[in-house]
Amino acid sequence: MDRRKVLKNIGMGFGAIAITPTVVGLMQSCQTAPQSMPVFYSKEQFAVLSGLMELIIPPTDIPGAIELKLPEFTDAYIAAVLSEKRQNEAKSGMEAFIAAALSATGKSSASSVTTAEWDAQLAKYLKSDEAPAGEEAASSFAYQLRSLSINAFRTNEFIGEQVLAYDPIPGRQEGCVDLLETTGGKIWSL
Amino acid sequence: METNYDAIVVGTGISGGWAAKELCEKGLKTLVLERGRMVNHVEDYPTMHNDPWDYKTGDVITNETRENQGKQSRTGYTTIESNKHFFVDDNKHPYNETNRFDWMRGYHVGGRSLMWGRQSYRLTDFDFTANAKDGIAVDWPIRYKEMEQWYHYVEQFIGVSGENVGLPQFPDGNYLKPMELNCVEDVLKTSVSNTYSDRIITIGRTAHITEGTKPGQGRSNCQFRNRCMRGCPFGAYFSSNSSTLPTAEATGNMTLRPNSIVSEVIYDADTKRATGVRVVDAETKEVIEFNAKVIFLCASTVPTTSILLQSKSERFPNGMGNDSGELGHNIMDHHLGVGASAQVDGFEDKYFTGRRPNGIYVPRFRNIGGATDTKDFLRGYGYQGGGRRGGWSSSVKEMAYGIGFKEAITEPGSWSIGLGGFGEILPYHENKMTLDYEKLDAWGLPTVTFDATIKENEENMRKDMQLQAEEMLSNAGFKNVRGYDRDYAIGLGIHEMGTARMGHDRKTSVLNKHNQLHDVPNVYVTDGSAMTSAGNVNPSLTYMALTARAANHAVEELKKMNL
Repeated sequence: MDRRKVLKNIGMGFGAIAITPTVVGLMQSCQTAPQSMPVFYSKEQFAVLSGLMELIIPPTDIPGAIELKLPEFTDAYIAAVLSEKRQNEAKSGMEAFIAAALSATGKSSASSVTTAEWDAQLAKYLKSDEAPAGEEAASSFAYQLRSLSINAFRTNEFIGEQVLAYDPIPGRQEGCVDLLETTGGKIWSL
Repeated sequence: METNYDAIVVGTGISGGWAAKELCEKGLKTLVLERGRMVNHVEDYPTMHNDPWDYKTGDVITNETRENQGKQSRTGYTTIESNKHFFVDDNKHPYNETNRFDWMRGYHVGGRSLMWGRQSYRLTDFDFTANAKDGIAVDWPIRYKEMEQWYHYVEQFIGVSGENVGLPQFPDGNYLKPMELNCVEDVLKTSVSNTYSDRIITIGRTAHITEGTKPGQGRSNCQFRNRCMRGCPFGAYFSSNSSTLPTAEATGNMTLRPNSIVSEVIYDADTKRATGVRVVDAETKEVIEFNAKVIFLCASTVPTTSILLQSKSERFPNGMGNDSGELGHNIMDHHLGVGASAQVDGFEDKYFTGRRPNGIYVPRFRNIGGATDTKDFLRGYGYQGGGRRGGWSSSVKEMAYGIGFKEAITEPGSWSIGLGGFGEILPYHENKMTLDYEKLDAWGLPTVTFDATIKENEENMRKDMQLQAEEMLSNAGFKNVRGYDRDYAIGLGIHEMGTARMGHDRKTSVLNKHNQLHDVPNVYVTDGSAMTSAGNVNPSLTYMALTARAANHAVEELKKMNL
């Protein structure tokens, strides 16, 4: 896949993405590896999923959701693991979320909704105590997506081995120890 | 191959491994038959080092797995990616349910000793005398004083870590160094000991080496990986594969034959003895007969009972040893899925090291005399549980997602704690398994139909199990105490037992006090099917002790020319 297409895909609808080393790394990897097609969501929905997950888990000193390929993991996870009922929620919830965003912005396609507008949409649900009337499905999708994002993050090899406290063979067991001394404040990854 | 042996052992799990070891060590040339494939210690544990990210969607139960292992997946944990290969394909190994029955099993050398929960407790005379005292079913033909030395013997060999607490309903044993309680479990322990005179919190007693080594194939100290069910490369927990089978092998007396489905025990009316077993080769479907002086059925409760039911002769038209009509009846389990959990505030600066493959334990405190007796139900229950510190659980809206949220999910969340009950199920004659000769399996053998439910005594006990758990957690000052009583069907405890019970009387029981069929003394049954009542503790240690005791008896009887 060529660089322009990568930019188009990841940039589509999410405004101008700064060319950080992360994005460069992504583009470089895409020059060799063919992009895998989403298995659960449509291509358009997958672009929205990626954008939303990047807002939930943005790049910091640690890579963000897109560079970690968490959207790919999540798309595959929904297809392979969730029950039919939860899959239907993930599908109809995504549709409801997009519809709510279009309604709020007055736009006609998800690809023209900006990152700031998606951000506002997420905030409306995740940063308030109650879903606005009529937007329950969109709101519950936001929470489902956040749970799926945590799961994808915690199941990521780089995060599990390099960011969280990784100890595949602890060798000993102590019941009650100091958190900072033991893991530097991080959660055990296993 | 050789078809004549001194002894035949059917099954290689918890009981079969012990029978193999004891009989081989006592010099008997022993054929050990296993219906499933070979699993060698360590080399056949393909997932033992896998991390969650080694699987495409993590170490979870996938929809594809649910299609092939729908019943095995009912537990919600046994068929995750790293374990599923040790559980049967339900499409290849079907069974029938008049009522839902959860029959969880693996067909391979080692059986469920590879995937067992490892909690190791002794029955007591509260259990052995219970049926007689309550006028339920039949009396156990044995008492604790006859079992004590055998419990000690098997604990010494397998290695059980735990703590002696000096309670008659929770007898002291032969334990290796106990594992540690975590910070919030300590709080509960102190609270329970200050609040209650009838109960305590102690660490679980689990078949893990916590100091020294144990016999077998390279058995060493627990490394606290908590990946036990996949097979342990350190041989730290007891399994047939790491322990009893290598010990039997080392005697030079064992012949192990995997892929050997025993269809029946062959009876000789002239000698009134069994002469051997008939085997269907699982791969070639060839039928072979093997002969021996003594036969140990250790195939686990349901298969052992099926084999006896299939062993029909003129003398035993309803199955070998079934003059009583009790064979296949009285099926029991431990009912679970009821208890409470709570959130624990504080201890934000505390954590733990190691993934402890064990929990905390509350020994039985109901119906053991005096103020503990209740009119609401017979028997008792124990709790297993534990405190944990999970992931992010904040409700701070500013950190709902984004940079702050991302930082927060790399840190531990709040502590929580839970207690889940394991309750005794009474032996009801109408709770049964039967054979369906209309629905045959791929080897032409009848399939099993289960018809069993818990009843009023268990339902009443469950109410108390939930209530007492809620109270203990509330009394400890924990927050958001939530009781639960989830769907339970017999079998979900994976402690199915009782279908060929021991008893004094051949008219009302299948086995005598030495685990011999009353009327075919050279057939011993020492797995869960022998249980006359269920008690409330995890039963595997009792199966080991019964097996070692019965093997000793068999060898003595052979010497006396009584078999």
